[in-house]
Amino acid sequence: MAYQVNGQTVEHDEEGYITNLGDWSKELAEVIAEAEEIEMDDERWEVVNFLREYYDEYQIAPAVRVLIKALKKSMGPEKGNNKYMYELFPYGPAKQACKIAGLPKPTGCV
Amino acid sequence: MSASLEKGLNALREQIDAPVASFFTSCVSCGICAEACLFYQETGDPKYTPIHKLEPMRRIWSNEFTLLGRAKSMLGMGRKVTEQDLADWEELVYDSCTMCGRCTLVCPVGNDITMMIRKMREGMSASGNAPEELVAGAKRHWEKGSPMGDLLPALTAHVKNVEKSTGIQVNVDKKGVDYLVILSAQEVAVYNEVIEALARILDKAGVSWTFSSEAFEGTNVGIQIGSKDLAREFVSRTVNAAEKLKVKGVISPECGHAYQALRWEGPNLIGRTYPFEVVHVIELLDRLRADGRLKTKGMDHAKLTFHDPCQINRRGGINHEPRRLLNMVADNFTETEDAGTMNWCCGGGGGVGSNESATELRLQAFQRKKRQFEAVAPEKIVTMCAYCHHILEESLEHYDMDIEVQGLTELMAEYLEDA
Repeated sequence: MAYQVNGQTVEHDEEGYITNLGDWSKELAEVIAEAEEIEMDDERWEVVNFLREYYDEYQIAPAVRVLIKALKKSMGPEKGNNKYMYELFPYGPAKQACKIAGLPKPTGCV
Repeated sequence: MSASLEKGLNALREQIDAPVASFFTSCVSCGICAEACLFYQETGDPKYTPIHKLEPMRRIWSNEFTLLGRAKSMLGMGRKVTEQDLADWEELVYDSCTMCGRCTLVCPVGNDITMMIRKMREGMSASGNAPEELVAGAKRHWEKGSPMGDLLPALTAHVKNVEKSTGIQVNVDKKGVDYLVILSAQEVAVYNEVIEALARILDKAGVSWTFSSEAFEGTNVGIQIGSKDLAREFVSRTVNAAEKLKVKGVISPECGHAYQALRWEGPNLIGRTYPFEVVHVIELLDRLRADGRLKTKGMDHAKLTFHDPCQINRRGGINHEPRRLLNMVADNFTETEDAGTMNWCCGGGGGVGSNESATELRLQAFQRKKRQFEAVAPEKIVTMCAYCHHILEESLEHYDMDIEVQGLTELMAEYLEDA
């Protein structure tokens, strides 16, 4: 299973998360978003960029709570809330946005 | 008989010891355990009666460990446990039991039903009937150090940030200090505010402590899934690190089953006593309070209530400590009904919160807490378990209840003198 971007093949797992995190590029994000039937706009890019920056520092995907808290600061409470995030990413800001950002599937605690 | 069924049945047989035999013998089928169970109470479905959740194990005991049962088995009577039975019981053993311990507390003949569920899960995981989320979590914990994967880079980044924001040095792998601090994955990944709170409180109190890069994870998937081998390995990681660092004590985090694992099951799992003390973080803060080493200033005037984590209060024994601390910093602290030892579970403990198949049932069960919170109408709910914290937030949001949830350590740090 793979995405095609600029003539390159990028492998992903059965759920669509890319196998090699280093393969990510902005073009690839657009391709993954298209497969998810999502159109990337400024706001979605802001979420995806935040996810990538967070991952860069902590090597884990942020929990939804952490993501919303940060976006509340940058986007304001109107948009930085759970409901709006689900409008942007109907299958969940954690799972779907992480997929587009080229991060591993988020895991939960027990 | 399939190999996995045989494995499961053998694991269950192995769990049937003298206490289990006496518990099954003593059960008078009174049904009081059902009245104590969150899942029975909120659904009214008798299949959630705690002792019924143990039926496959009871049948093995009856068929193989009692005289009458053995005689019946010889005549081809007595219902055998089948593969289908174990599959059918997965929901009852994992999705509808948080091992909260209420049934054990009310049983009139003293049966430790919760402990038997823990034992029943040993058989279920051996036969391949454990929920896939717990299996995946166990695999990550085994290979990468925590059920959420490798969290060392995140912890390292948090430590650096805390040092920068507080000016306090946070030790990692420092030998000879008083305490080794462990956290729960949920704290490292989500509620990391606790790290700064703890650093400030302990610094002020003059307590020396360290993290260990080899063992900072307190959660224990082995306890949740029901695998003593896994549970032993995870506890051993902490024990080995504590011994290597020669600390006097290990501070167990705001996490319910981490305390259960390290404080209560741990020595039995590894077969010896520890050369150090295990203290729950809230227990330690209360000691520091009593010694005059935890000093606070000011009061929170908001209406606060407290949620007791089952594994820390009912099954852990820490009941008055959080209340003494809360009364130090909050002048409008109001308890919910049944608060304390008989508190109701948040619905997510015992691995239930991670099982996707349990989500609907768990939210239905939450209605008990929902009604209790509505009666108090607090502005904030304080608790001392990061997973309760997570489940409370999720459930409150599901029911459109806008109430803040906060960990007690974090609250205490907010009112630290000279903060």
